[in-house]
Amino acid sequence: MTFDVSPSLTLVLLAAVLVGVGVYLMLERSLSRIVIGLVIASNGINVLFLIAGGRAGDPPLNDGDHSTMADPLPQAMVLTAIVITLGMTAFLLAMAYRSWQLNGHDEVQDDLEDRRVVRRAARDLLSRRAADDSGATLAEDARVTRDETATDGAAR
Amino acid sequence: MVHLLILHALAALLAPALVGTMGRRAFLVLAAVPATAAAWAISHTGAALSDTPPAQVVPWIGGLGLNLSFRLDALSWVMTLIVGGVGSLVLLYSAAYFSARATALGRFAAVFVAFAGAMLGVVTTDNTLALYLFWELTTIFSYLLIGHYHERQASRRAASQAIMVTTLGGLAMLAGFVALGEMEYGSYSISLLVERAAAGVLGGGTLLPVAIALVLVGALSKSALLPFHFWLPAAMAAPTPVSAYLHAAAMVKAGVYLVARFGPGFSGHGIWQWLVLGFGLGTMLLGGYRALRQHDLKLVLAFGTVSQLGMMVAMVGHGSRAVALAGLAMVVSHALFKASLFLVVGIVDWSVGTRDLRELSGLARAMPVVATTAALATASMIGLPPLAGYVAKEAALEGLAHEGDWLVLAVLAVGSVLTFAYGLRFWFGAFGTRAGVAQSVARYSSGLIVLSPAVLALAGLAVGVLPGPFERVLAPHADTFPGDAGHLTLWGGLGLPLAVTLGVFVLGLAMFRVRDVVERLQDGVVSVPSADSLYRRSLRALENSAADVTAITQRGSLPLYLTIILMVMVGAAGGAAVVEGTLPEAIRGADWWGQVVIAAFIGVTSILAARSRRRLKAVLLVGASGYGMALLFSAHGAPDLALTQVMVETITLVLFVLVLRRLPTYFSNRPLTGDRFLRMAMGAASGLAVGAMSLVAVGGRRRIPVSEYLPEATYDYGYGRNIVNVILVDTRAWDTMGEISVILVAATGVASLLFLRDRAGIVDSARNRAHAETTTRVWDDGSPDLTASLRETTSQPGWLRAPGRGRHWLAGGATLAPRRRSVIFEIGTRLVFHSMVLLSLYLLFAGHNQPGGGFAGGLVAGTALIVRYLAGGRYELGATIPLHAGHLLGTGLAIATTAALVPLLLGGQVLQTAVFELTVPVWGDVKIATALIFDIGVYVLVLGLVLDVLRSLGAEIDRHGEIEGMSDDEVDDSVEVAP
Amino acid sequence: MTWLVPLPVVIPLLAAGIALAFGRRPNLQRLIATAALTASLAVAVTLIIAVDAGPIVVNVGGWAAPVGIALVIDRLSALMLAVSVAVTLAVLVYSAAQGVADKGEGAPVSVYYPTFLVLSAGVSNAFITGDLFNLYVGFEILLAASFVLITLGGTRDRIRAGTIYVVVSLMSSLVFLTALALIYAATGTVNFAQLAIRLPELDSGVRLVLHLMLLIAFGIKAAVFPLSAWLPDSYPTAPAPVTAVFAGLLTKVGVYALIRTEVLLFPGGRLDTVLLVVALVTMVVGILGAVAQDDLKRLLSFTLISHIGFMVWGVALASQTGLSAAVFYVAHHITAQTALFLVAGLMEHIGGTTSLTRLGSLARLAPGVAILFFIAAMNLGGIPPLTGFLGKLGLLQASAEAGTPLAWTLVAGGLVTSLLTLYAMTKAWNMAFWQTAEHEPEPRPLPRSMAGASAGLVAMSLGLVAIAGPLVDYTDRAARDLRMRTPYIQAVLPEGEYPADVYNEAWGERDGEG
Repeated sequence: MTFDVSPSLTLVLLAAVLVGVGVYLMLERSLSRIVIGLVIASNGINVLFLIAGGRAGDPPLNDGDHSTMADPLPQAMVLTAIVITLGMTAFLLAMAYRSWQLNGHDEVQDDLEDRRVVRRAARDLLSRRAADDSGATLAEDARVTRDETATDGAAR
Repeated sequence: MVHLLILHALAALLAPALVGTMGRRAFLVLAAVPATAAAWAISHTGAALSDTPPAQVVPWIGGLGLNLSFRLDALSWVMTLIVGGVGSLVLLYSAAYFSARATALGRFAAVFVAFAGAMLGVVTTDNTLALYLFWELTTIFSYLLIGHYHERQASRRAASQAIMVTTLGGLAMLAGFVALGEMEYGSYSISLLVERAAAGVLGGGTLLPVAIALVLVGALSKSALLPFHFWLPAAMAAPTPVSAYLHAAAMVKAGVYLVARFGPGFSGHGIWQWLVLGFGLGTMLLGGYRALRQHDLKLVLAFGTVSQLGMMVAMVGHGSRAVALAGLAMVVSHALFKASLFLVVGIVDWSVGTRDLRELSGLARAMPVVATTAALATASMIGLPPLAGYVAKEAALEGLAHEGDWLVLAVLAVGSVLTFAYGLRFWFGAFGTRAGVAQSVARYSSGLIVLSPAVLALAGLAVGVLPGPFERVLAPHADTFPGDAGHLTLWGGLGLPLAVTLGVFVLGLAMFRVRDVVERLQDGVVSVPSADSLYRRSLRALENSAADVTAITQRGSLPLYLTIILMVMVGAAGGAAVVEGTLPEAIRGADWWGQVVIAAFIGVTSILAARSRRRLKAVLLVGASGYGMALLFSAHGAPDLALTQVMVETITLVLFVLVLRRLPTYFSNRPLTGDRFLRMAMGAASGLAVGAMSLVAVGGRRRIPVSEYLPEATYDYGYGRNIVNVILVDTRAWDTMGEISVILVAATGVASLLFLRDRAGIVDSARNRAHAETTTRVWDDGSPDLTASLRETTSQPGWLRAPGRGRHWLAGGATLAPRRRSVIFEIGTRLVFHSMVLLSLYLLFAGHNQPGGGFAGGLVAGTALIVRYLAGGRYELGATIPLHAGHLLGTGLAIATTAALVPLLLGGQVLQTAVFELTVPVWGDVKIATALIFDIGVYVLVLGLVLDVLRSLGAEIDRHGEIEGMSDDEVDDSVEVAP
Repeated sequence: MTWLVPLPVVIPLLAAGIALAFGRRPNLQRLIATAALTASLAVAVTLIIAVDAGPIVVNVGGWAAPVGIALVIDRLSALMLAVSVAVTLAVLVYSAAQGVADKGEGAPVSVYYPTFLVLSAGVSNAFITGDLFNLYVGFEILLAASFVLITLGGTRDRIRAGTIYVVVSLMSSLVFLTALALIYAATGTVNFAQLAIRLPELDSGVRLVLHLMLLIAFGIKAAVFPLSAWLPDSYPTAPAPVTAVFAGLLTKVGVYALIRTEVLLFPGGRLDTVLLVVALVTMVVGILGAVAQDDLKRLLSFTLISHIGFMVWGVALASQTGLSAAVFYVAHHITAQTALFLVAGLMEHIGGTTSLTRLGSLARLAPGVAILFFIAAMNLGGIPPLTGFLGKLGLLQASAEAGTPLAWTLVAGGLVTSLLTLYAMTKAWNMAFWQTAEHEPEPRPLPRSMAGASAGLVAMSLGLVAIAGPLVDYTDRAARDLRMRTPYIQAVLPEGEYPADVYNEAWGERDGEG
């Protein structure tokens, strides 16, 4: 088996390019672009595995000498990764379709609750129930707090 | 002592049921529970006051030093009496106090008893962590009790305030305990800590004073001392029995107890002196001052309590033996008179209907017994002889004078003047006759309700007239402090203390006389920001800063989140690679010249895909780069990868097209903004980082990979020549099993997103087909059909018919919109389909030795399905496999996992492979590895995946299209608008 | 015992397959699912007892490590396994009822149970695997399943939230995969034990790169600041049981992976200081986020992040006490957080919403739920004697033991965090239970098994208190093993890195016992 792992610059560059392009697309808001980005980026990482496996060689079949054979383990890993990516791609596409079906586009919107908090932060205000404080003084509170004693069963 | 706690716990659990059956009389029964604690303490008096107090250790969590160890020394004995005695008296009182119709009495009773239990734990445990445990429990229970009337905002606010403030202190205390426990010679046993601290062997250096301060913060917050005092008056929102027990006799004493407990060890430290005396005396003055201003009787008492808690902390923490004795006496007498006074206020409130001393008048005549009780208690509070309060205060003056601690003595005197003043103001306000106010009528009276306060007040008298025994029980703990012994006596002889006392009386009386002036004076004083409003403001500040921080960290934008992740990766990992990494010795330009070409092709197509604004174009370009990848693999010596990649790419391409046909042609228009350049930069950075990292990583390789074993091993044990396949179905079959379950889930997920209208999804069976042929026209875009007339004449010439079959080459063909049909395509499909299926089977079985295997096979079969679908439409698909995709997926996984389990039954390892030699006629000998069964599972499952995805993204989307063509409402019901 | 090890993964998968095949019969599906999880719970508990004799190793398919995939049960993984399976089972029971209760949940019934089973299998796989690549596969399993669960019903909100979740998760997978490629490139192996031997041989530069990549990949899954922002945006929209099981388990898988990375793969604690700071920031920023929320589920999601900080704190201390406390805290938090989310589901069921501004009067309307919530909330708030306090106590002691200024800073941060946690909890309690609602919902019957499952989880957290003593001793031993590393390595590679025979062909005779 070829244990020469000195990398092929071509592959390194290819991996870099693919990852770069993939990332660029994944930073988009359009889901279908994100999917494409995912596919490209994973291709890039598969190339990384080829690099990790070392120099190109003969197919890892058990006939003839093993000296020129390519490292089979990364291949198996890549195969697993490819198939998993297929599944994920299918799912993302379904999400893209669904999102289009619901919103007429496949773009990822921002989270509304977060936006609400941002607005709240802008105007330092807190919901009445959250604050739960009318600002009454001790004496005022004391006047209203009566226990449910025998004298008045339903103290409120 | 544990059994007492258990008793309390059980009683608490049973209380609701008890109240449910007996009504408020249940309190009479429950009163027995705290009483047992007191009785138990009394039965152990002798031992408790001896040098070897009864102790008990229940190991719980040795690993954390948290054991339920208890120790009933003199101090604990006294506190137990207070906790148990006052507790049961207050419970008796409650039986008469509450209305029989009062809401949630059961809950009240339960929490009250539980609190009594927790309090008992606080005063008897000998383990700091256990102390904290019970301490926090009292906090929680008081939270629930203060919030008893939770419909009232006042109650809710007071409760939250109390729990926040006391927990703040509690946590500080916990930190202090941990520090004390982990430091050199430290311990989690209180007695050991105090011992070692007193001996001065406790290590920790600078940590020690900090730890002491932290522990004291706990004490101060619990006993409502400055600057935490404000929670106590607010806590008066609780029912009066709670105020009497928790906020006068028991819980607020916990802080005092803590100071008294640790005093012998730590009172020598400067930090202790400053905190205890400073805040203690300060609180005493402030409390007294504020008490003079209140009109609500409970509030008068509340601020009075604050004041006297301050005094008690200062006394028991003062650090000298005589003063400590006085302090302890103060603790006892305060418990007696203050609880009694609160209960009295309760009676007034209960009977007259108000607590406002401006509305009360002439009650002394209306309720003489109560008035006398109150008089006794008040007298004890303001220190009139011959009551407990007097004895204690005298002893304090005596001791301070003896120590020559004039400053403290002076403050104590001033505080006493205030106490005297507000004490009189309280009694006369409640029972005196007020000019211009109608005589208040006492509407109710009851023997039971007066019992408890009377007993408490009389106890105060008894203790006062018998100072001897009183001293004997308090002395043992006081003696653990350094200094000369002090004494409790009614007559300390002529001397400075007596003079001070008389002075206090005179001034106090005078101050009471001119109370209106005092009040006006107080109004005149510019009101400094009260701690309460400070608390309010800090809460508001907390809420605001929380919102601000969250607004920054939580933008809710996906691209931003990804950017952050990538920045971390590039910055940290990429940075490390660039800074610390070393390049490999040798770097090849390429493995062979072709690699460059292929790589260039892949790179360019990908970039173009990123640039294109047309969805379809982008997809096709990605497909191209994908096939390029396949080329790269095969050239790299990875035929299986290449094969799989081709199939996967094909299917991916089809999926894309199926979905994107419905989406807009163009990506939404994004002008070339800076945001886009940012993304480019991010991409470039990530790419470079990954490249750099890969170079560095490869350069780091020292050893030959594990795969060196694989070639021989796979053949000898994997019984296959194709190493990669053996790895997939045998060596690393566990991975594959996981991988196919991923596929299964993904497929079902796709279905679940598409088949919302019809949950389970329906197969386009022949039955619906017959219907569809007449009505629906699959893929009909409704445009006029130009070639119809032609087809009329030349449709289906006889020689085109499939022998023995119906009129059509493809069963589903007739359902297509006429102009979507292509006879050639249908025939082609018909011919190619079976051969593709055969090929897929071949790949499956040959896989073990040749490139191929379950995945490749399944994918090929899947592609055959795709062709069939494209040619014949969705009804054709249904006709091809009249099965639910779920069945295929499920069966596939079931087969694979069974193949994994069977070897276990045969005594092998999970997923272990056996091989069978058998002779097939004609074919000859064949080796069949059981791994094949696993691979069959994979095959079936992958086929299921394709079928499922076709049904969803293909057929179902068609259907949606048609529905939209006909009517929209059916689609709408699939759109569930979120609530 | 070895034959038990793979079952917590294989049984649920098999069950998932069968359940899916019977897609049309939800009741049968429920039966299968419950049976499967009960079985794997039994297995997991047995393993906890068995593992005290030392790590249990299974060489899948008889392929000896490092060539094949090794499944390893040590004390840590056994505990994680047992707790997680127990919680999963409880949630399953709960959701079984909810499926009936809320038709509106829009879960394609045929999908829910299989997916849920696969999720459980994925989590278990992550806990028992001794192989880094297989860990990746395990992550993918549970991610894929979680994708489906979080988008159940495909409503507008869930699609939006789901998209954020899915894409961020995929990004983390890409990072992990990259790390894998790099690690194989540098070491030529993906077997944990062998990596534990080979990684230390590398140049510090390479090691740092690999270390950081793994930390980032797992940090995203564990939701560690600043990689945590995705979580509160995605979890709360899912159906209550789904959110519950996510909150309880998925992040903990990340934490588990962090522990393995820090202790087994990259000992020496080069990044401990960084991790301590990260832990501090995570705790504080997380809890501030919780304080700012008006929706119960979101509030809980933020407390989840915040308390991940506690676990990272323990891991970063890297001392035995610290690790022990961290492990204990994980066990605590799985139960506590899941229970809280389930109770939140009950409140939603009764009050019709989880918005605290609209909930109210629950103390009167549902006293039972009130008790459950109060206990669970106090548990999270670290009130003694509940496990939240015990875990916190362990961390405090570990920090005090370390005694460095940074350690004490973390003590302060931790205490502030638990105070604020209590604040957030009491605020939620105040708004939902004590205050009176503006519009009181008309009373709805609470399905018994929903309430039962929630009560069961709360009871479980109380049970942990009862057995806290033995449990702490157990986590101490687990932490000791982790720090020694040798028990693990020797169990997996009894003949060292280069076994003479990579395959144990003898059928019948069980191998791999360390």
